[in-house]
Amino acid sequence: MPRVLRLSKSPEQSVKEMAKFLLENGKVEGVLTLRKIGENGAVAYSLISSPDELDYARPLYPLMPVNSGKLLSLLTLREAATEPIAVVLRPCELRAFVELVKRQQGSTDNLLLISSTCGGVYPLELALEDKIEGKLPQYWEAVKQGEVSPGIRPACKACEHFIPYTADITVSLLGNKDIDRETVILLNTDRGENLLEGMSGEFTEEEFDSGAMERIRGQRESEKQKLFDETEIRNLGIDELNKAFSKCIGCHNCSKVCPICYCHLCFFDSEASEHDAVYYATQLERRGSVEAFPDTIFYHLVRLSHVSTSCVGCGMCSDVCPASIPLWAISLRVAESVQKAYGYLPGKDMEEGLPLTTFRPEEFAAVG
Amino acid sequence: MTPTRKGTIYLSEGDVERGVLDFMKQALSQGCFDAVLIPTRVSAGDSVAYSLIRDEALLEAASPLPPIMPVQGARAISSITRRGKGNKSIAAVMRPCEARATVELAKLGQANLEDIILVTVDCPGVMPLSDYFTSAENGDRTFRGASRNWNSEPMRPVCNICDRFSTTGAEDLHVGTLGAKDGTMVLIPSSGKGESVLSKLGLSMEDNISSWESGVERLTQERKQKRNESHNGLRSEIEGIDRLLESFSRCINCHNCMRVCPICYCRQCHFDSDKMKFNFEDYLTRAKARGVVKLPSDTLFFHIGRMLHMSLSCVSCGMCEDACPMNITVGQIFSLVGDRNQEAFGYLSGRSIDEALPLTTFEQGEFQEVEQSHSVFSAKEKQDA
Repeated sequence: MPRVLRLSKSPEQSVKEMAKFLLENGKVEGVLTLRKIGENGAVAYSLISSPDELDYARPLYPLMPVNSGKLLSLLTLREAATEPIAVVLRPCELRAFVELVKRQQGSTDNLLLISSTCGGVYPLELALEDKIEGKLPQYWEAVKQGEVSPGIRPACKACEHFIPYTADITVSLLGNKDIDRETVILLNTDRGENLLEGMSGEFTEEEFDSGAMERIRGQRESEKQKLFDETEIRNLGIDELNKAFSKCIGCHNCSKVCPICYCHLCFFDSEASEHDAVYYATQLERRGSVEAFPDTIFYHLVRLSHVSTSCVGCGMCSDVCPASIPLWAISLRVAESVQKAYGYLPGKDMEEGLPLTTFRPEEFAAVG
Repeated sequence: MTPTRKGTIYLSEGDVERGVLDFMKQALSQGCFDAVLIPTRVSAGDSVAYSLIRDEALLEAASPLPPIMPVQGARAISSITRRGKGNKSIAAVMRPCEARATVELAKLGQANLEDIILVTVDCPGVMPLSDYFTSAENGDRTFRGASRNWNSEPMRPVCNICDRFSTTGAEDLHVGTLGAKDGTMVLIPSSGKGESVLSKLGLSMEDNISSWESGVERLTQERKQKRNESHNGLRSEIEGIDRLLESFSRCINCHNCMRVCPICYCRQCHFDSDKMKFNFEDYLTRAKARGVVKLPSDTLFFHIGRMLHMSLSCVSCGMCEDACPMNITVGQIFSLVGDRNQEAFGYLSGRSIDEALPLTTFEQGEFQEVEQSHSVFSAKEKQDA
């Protein structure tokens, strides 16, 4: 039976309380979580080591300035965490980190992973004029009811993986009607349970009805189908791709913020992707004209082929695109079919090998 | 009024775009150059991309003065010439700030202008990408209306305060439209290359272009004043480390400002390099020193580093601001800093290909006031004396 800690506080207060307990009792040396910075409403991930600084923490603030899977990779790329720290992150961020660890871009050693069932986040553009704060009551009401909050990112509306797979601790948010008074915290691992031992709260063992989660999943699934239709990415033939990427300005910011794109220097930013005068002259002869940057779709196709086995549908790519291309939908649509073909779900299981690094003699017999 | 520059009054039918296109077609067919680099409508019709065009018929898809700037033209020229010239003479049609950035890139060894004829057009500004992409159709309408009246309100904030929207002298040939009589454009050569195009077409360069000159002068003065006012206001908002930190507090460290910047040409920015990736221990030490460290770290350090590297060549094009997912006023901030830094060195980005980059030139007499005001130096000098 799942082990549970009940705290009689709101979810955000409860998470801060846990973080405070862990820091004050020397169980962790730092907490990585969202924190308010500056005065214009900005929040950013911060590594907090002083319990006082937790006052400014906003662990469940519905915004994703950076996919924190990428941040954890930055923190643990050169060496695994030398001291224990707690990390508060969303399910897709955790999944992205798992994929990065499988790619040798980080380590989970000494990390206490705290996640939650996720109601999604708002688009970055809403953070600009501090519009999120006013929406919070509405957001939490939707979370309580297990509904899709209006105004959250399309990638979040369409997300079916809102329950974290590999967290030590899961804060149960979606569909919890008593959220204002009491927070239910699932202790998934011994590490999670041991570290919270001694905290004042009610430790129990409880069985949960999975029906509510299934209902939410169904809702998200139908949102997804609706959004796929709206963005017209059902058939991604060359004409559709041309149309979808016609506005691309070639900034490659989608790759820069993607947690899975970890290459230090992307091929498409490298010298190897540049064309010389002979190329342009030849194209001019052949076709009468040539684009100054001819590889726009090539870039997107290669990126898709590189990330699609591990794409977690976090939506960062869409959120930063200056041309508002529905990249999340294109990536997710492609990723889902690729992942289905390999029977692989990114970020679900740390032990499961990456599809392209595992060879099974019997697979894809139909193709081969 | 007697004109101070020589030029040609060119009769054109239709709007500015039509006029420029007809002129380019004529020049291409007369062999003034082999190909044209020019913004061209993409097939979906909702954006433009720089294309190199050889065939006259294909030029019909070109849009010499599009409502947006998805890519800075200097990057396009750099892309096709950086790895050596191709023995083809190319006329590049772009906006003045793109031509200025091109000149800076050439000085930085990132573009080869030997075979390039830079053609600029009086610029009404460009709309922010996000405004235009909401609806290209509405965007086109807004842009056409605003540009006819030289109303820069719907344009990028830096376009709204741009005082270098016309000829800068760094281009080879300029197309003037401001103050020109209906059905005419003014062609002003600024170099031998430009003059040779006009003479090949048998165009006289002795026409009276004073109405264009005074039109440009009037708007330049108006914009200079606007620029000053805007920069002064901005200065009070960003001056000092606390205000600067606040201005960049929303930054998510994606570095997209750098990637779309025509001047930032480094293949790998220092701030994306291994040098800025630290051990876990280092991050924790930094957190413990102050109770907290923001991640990714060194946000302001990046912006100040970038400023230091490119502000002397900054052309205030506003690409950075357009590409920022957090709508930070980074283009306006950099235009302010760029102006002040360039002023200090008596340098103006993109003014002339012959003007050496300030940081590669040492002048014995310069900045003596800085040395003198530096207390350490003066104390030591006194001691030495």
